[in-house]
Amino acid sequence: MEKISVIIDGKTLHAVKDRCVLQVARENGIYIPSLCYNSEVESSGGSCRVCLVEAHQGGRMRLVTSCNYPVRAGLEVKTDTPLVRRIRRGVLELLLARVPDSEVIREMAAREGVTEVRFRRDEGENERYKCIACALCTHVCAEVVGVHAIAMTERGADKKPATPYHKPSEVCIGCGACAYACPTGAITMKETDGVRRIWGKDFPMVRCSVCGAPHIPEAQVDWIVKRTGKDRAFFDKCPDHR
Amino acid sequence: MGAINSIEQLESYRRELASKVRADLPTVMVCFGTGCQANGSRLVAEAFMRVIEEQGLKVGVNLGIKTTGCHGYCENGPLVALKPQDLLYLKVKPEDVAEIVEETVKGGRVVERLVYRDKITEELVARYSEIPFYKHQHRIALRHIGTIDPTSIDDYILVGGYSGLAKALTMKPEELISEVERSGLRGRGGGGFPTGTKWRSCAAVDSDVRYVMCNGDEGDPGAFMDRSIMEGDPHSVIEGMIIGALAVGSHQGYIYVRDEYPLAVKNLTSALEAAREKGFLGPDILGSGFAFDIKISRGGGAFVCGESSALMRSVEGNVGEPRAKYIRSVERGLYNRPTVLNNVETWANVPEIILKGADWYAGMGTERSKGTKVFSLVGKVNNTGLVEVPMGITIRELVENIGGGVLGGKRFKAVQTGGPSGGCIPERLADLPIDFDSLTEAGSMMGSGGIIVMDEDTCMVDVARYFTAFLVEESCGKCTPCRDGLPRMLDLLNDITEGRGGDEHVAMLEELCDLLTWGALCGLGTSAANPVLSTIKYFREEYDAHIKERRCPAGVCKALITYSIDAEACTGCRLCAKKCPQECISGERKKPHVIDTTRCIKCGVCKDVCAYDAVRVS
Repeated sequence: MEKISVIIDGKTLHAVKDRCVLQVARENGIYIPSLCYNSEVESSGGSCRVCLVEAHQGGRMRLVTSCNYPVRAGLEVKTDTPLVRRIRRGVLELLLARVPDSEVIREMAAREGVTEVRFRRDEGENERYKCIACALCTHVCAEVVGVHAIAMTERGADKKPATPYHKPSEVCIGCGACAYACPTGAITMKETDGVRRIWGKDFPMVRCSVCGAPHIPEAQVDWIVKRTGKDRAFFDKCPDHR
Repeated sequence: MGAINSIEQLESYRRELASKVRADLPTVMVCFGTGCQANGSRLVAEAFMRVIEEQGLKVGVNLGIKTTGCHGYCENGPLVALKPQDLLYLKVKPEDVAEIVEETVKGGRVVERLVYRDKITEELVARYSEIPFYKHQHRIALRHIGTIDPTSIDDYILVGGYSGLAKALTMKPEELISEVERSGLRGRGGGGFPTGTKWRSCAAVDSDVRYVMCNGDEGDPGAFMDRSIMEGDPHSVIEGMIIGALAVGSHQGYIYVRDEYPLAVKNLTSALEAAREKGFLGPDILGSGFAFDIKISRGGGAFVCGESSALMRSVEGNVGEPRAKYIRSVERGLYNRPTVLNNVETWANVPEIILKGADWYAGMGTERSKGTKVFSLVGKVNNTGLVEVPMGITIRELVENIGGGVLGGKRFKAVQTGGPSGGCIPERLADLPIDFDSLTEAGSMMGSGGIIVMDEDTCMVDVARYFTAFLVEESCGKCTPCRDGLPRMLDLLNDITEGRGGDEHVAMLEELCDLLTWGALCGLGTSAANPVLSTIKYFREEYDAHIKERRCPAGVCKALITYSIDAEACTGCRLCAKKCPQECISGERKKPHVIDTTRCIKCGVCKDVCAYDAVRVS
């Protein structure tokens, strides 16, 4: 891995070439807000725009999303200029207008001094009342889980993740990776009496043979066994009792 | 004959075709562009065949007949061009055909009632090249359209087709690239990126696979230059792409065409087949050993798919969404391979540049915008259609000389250029030369070349609202500024045009524009502020009139206008009362009428029908 040096907020840092600015910043304790990016998910990022920073390179300045802008020799990044703050505030105000009930967005906006929305608030349907349409859930499902149970549907302001035709998905394994990855907690996943409900479908859970706690959906076990050839008996016990 | 195996064979085939052509043979060319077909040109062509048969004439002996691509003057279709006299007949109906055959084809005389009549001077202009709409044009990208049959590869070869390729095969890739660089050709799709530079960057990337692509996803409302080229001269695009493939070392090309262009898909498909059959495409092009072929990929009609990275995603079979282009598509494009993507018009220019040389091309246009550009001239102007002119022509020349001035003698107010995310340029800047940089400096852009002429009856706030509404519909929704910012902009514009605008509205619009310009992901979003910003810049007083005085100066915004009848001018003819869909106009015959404004829906029918200009909008 080729190492290069970049400057972020005046500090000269050594970093792996082509790693994204956001990751390099995080590794060095520099805060850049971010929502839609997850370093484990290749296609994630570039959508929410809260991580915009100034990239100065070759005598030219651009505002770029730090989550997918590659670091190369000669790059200087500024994460806290008046321009960055102005655009970041604008993005957060729009997000706040979209999902006023999301605590994550409220906190992030407040940190940038945005507490009120001057625009008409979105009269969103309940299923998207915390969703910022960043598509991270769909990327996780496709790339990490490998299932493709959900995808982004519609376009423009109506864009949202959904199962095909908004019907319970035939391929979903109920693993909940989408819900865990969602930056705003917009995907509801509930467990009652050993049954997990997500995306409008019920998933019976395997109970731990020691403590009796439901710990993994049966469909997820089937999937893992099929994909990896792992012994099914491994899932008889919950992680605490293995 | 089968495949042509060498450049020599191509030339002898061309000579053979030429030897069969009789220059003196009267030839009828019926336009089969989409516009003329919609106006019934198919029936006109059928009528010709019927009349020819009835009169015992033989095609190829007594006369020639062919169907061609779009002449660009669609509002006057169906168009019929005639050789050798170089005539153009407008609005030809099947019942005119017998007379055309008798008078013009047999007798060589002009049928005057089908000839262009100047709207102002009333002068008749029979010769194609003398009609003002065509006289000032300089056609390179459109060089063959209207004269050749797009479904005949022989027709294309006869006019010199594939000579550019033949020459390119004798040149080194490096020579091809520098020729295009020196020509100064810049991307015609909107960005204006230097084509040669793009080719060079792609060729420089180390990869065993490279792609050459053509963007035929023309989505700007009112723009149809790319459609016209794909329909009317598909081989020029194919030839350009083969030359591009030679230059960058690609063996597979893709043409992305929107599915709303069925005729373009059809003509391209048959042109590709013919080119393969003749050996211009395939494993061994003209016996040179170079292999290249082209596939057609049909788009679903999303405006954003004209954006390069979204287009590539769409060809790959994914949802057409843009991605960040921090790594450019010349490095990692289609299927993550180095890719050259050029627009239809750009490709169509390439064979001519190679054939005639960079200096010839660079001799036209302005210092930084070389060559010619096809514009789609529409709106409140006498002559509308496709025009190709040298770069650097002024807006006024385009509107006055080619467009024949503003319709109905009204005042010329502005032009909107560059498609939905272009901007409006006021009449006082009409002497601005049209080139990539001047338009951008003026707050608009070249875009794909749409020019919408606006007169005094156009409300500029309403124009901004219209284009913003279009962009709201077409935003893919991937990034926050575009997805959530544009609808908020539209809210504000609706407030202003509906009389709810407040003091802070313009400032908030400007703030959102700033956010889009800096913060959006792709070109659609970063340019989406242009309609609003340019109208605020040049027509601020109209925004102020809507907000401060609750008045629409152009009389367009319904919430802010009322219709009334001027009692002095009204003759009491009853026409408006009869036409009013609300039946809210009362008054006795020969006495002034009155509009009941409580029931009026402001449809404007009364104003349109009044012969005495007695209806007032205030």
